[in-house]
Amino acid sequence: MISVQEQDFNVQELYESLCVAHKTGAVAMFVGRVRDFSDDPAQSSFVLEHYPGMTEHNLNKIVAEANQRWTLLDVKVVHRVGKLSVDDQIVFVGVSSAHRAEAFAACDFIMDYLKSRAAFWKKEITPEREEWVEAKESDEASLERWND
Amino acid sequence: MAVKADLGVLIVANLKVVFFASLRETMKCDELELPVEGTLTVRQLKEKLAEQLQQPLLLEEKVKAAIDFDFARDEDLIEPDKVREVAFFPPVTGG
Repeated sequence: MISVQEQDFNVQELYESLCVAHKTGAVAMFVGRVRDFSDDPAQSSFVLEHYPGMTEHNLNKIVAEANQRWTLLDVKVVHRVGKLSVDDQIVFVGVSSAHRAEAFAACDFIMDYLKSRAAFWKKEITPEREEWVEAKESDEASLERWND
Repeated sequence: MAVKADLGVLIVANLKVVFFASLRETMKCDELELPVEGTLTVRQLKEKLAEQLQQPLLLEEKVKAAIDFDFARDEDLIEPDKVREVAFFPPVTGG
């Protein structure tokens, strides 16, 4: 399941939906949150823009690739868009499998590719300024870990 | 003498181009339709747009492109009759 949405998500509900009765031996989950990026967290927010259609298309490709690499039971990716404040949840990636190694690796892989291949853009907003976040070279470099 | 109608007729197709994030703000445009005469590369489209919109920023290396939702490189071909839309945007920063 892939969802791009404005509303918040419930980690407990997502966790439960990832579990397959009698089969799930491991669930790995990652949650990305908005951290403080200014002197005044109460006045700071993010706007997350995305490219409708391309975002879902590329997230589907990333999840399909993870399913090719590892034996997984279920994958859920939720990414929020719109206005977000400090301490809000941004992204959820959850993977269930029979064993922990697959769950850990697939969760890490999906998050790595999401950072560099999913069409989202963050803009930081404070009372003083509005600024698009620059992409980090380290995110692109991180993908090299997955080259066979 | 009659001239066959299909000879010498330039096929012009309208190509949908979309912009996102900082590039959309710089271009002051989120979407446009550009008449094109047949197949062209991503680079050629960038050059055409940069000239037409007076925005040399489009030619910068960091500007990314996608053809029908798939990331595309400068040398990739755009066939207007098969392509729904081409997008230009800065490097992504989600997650």
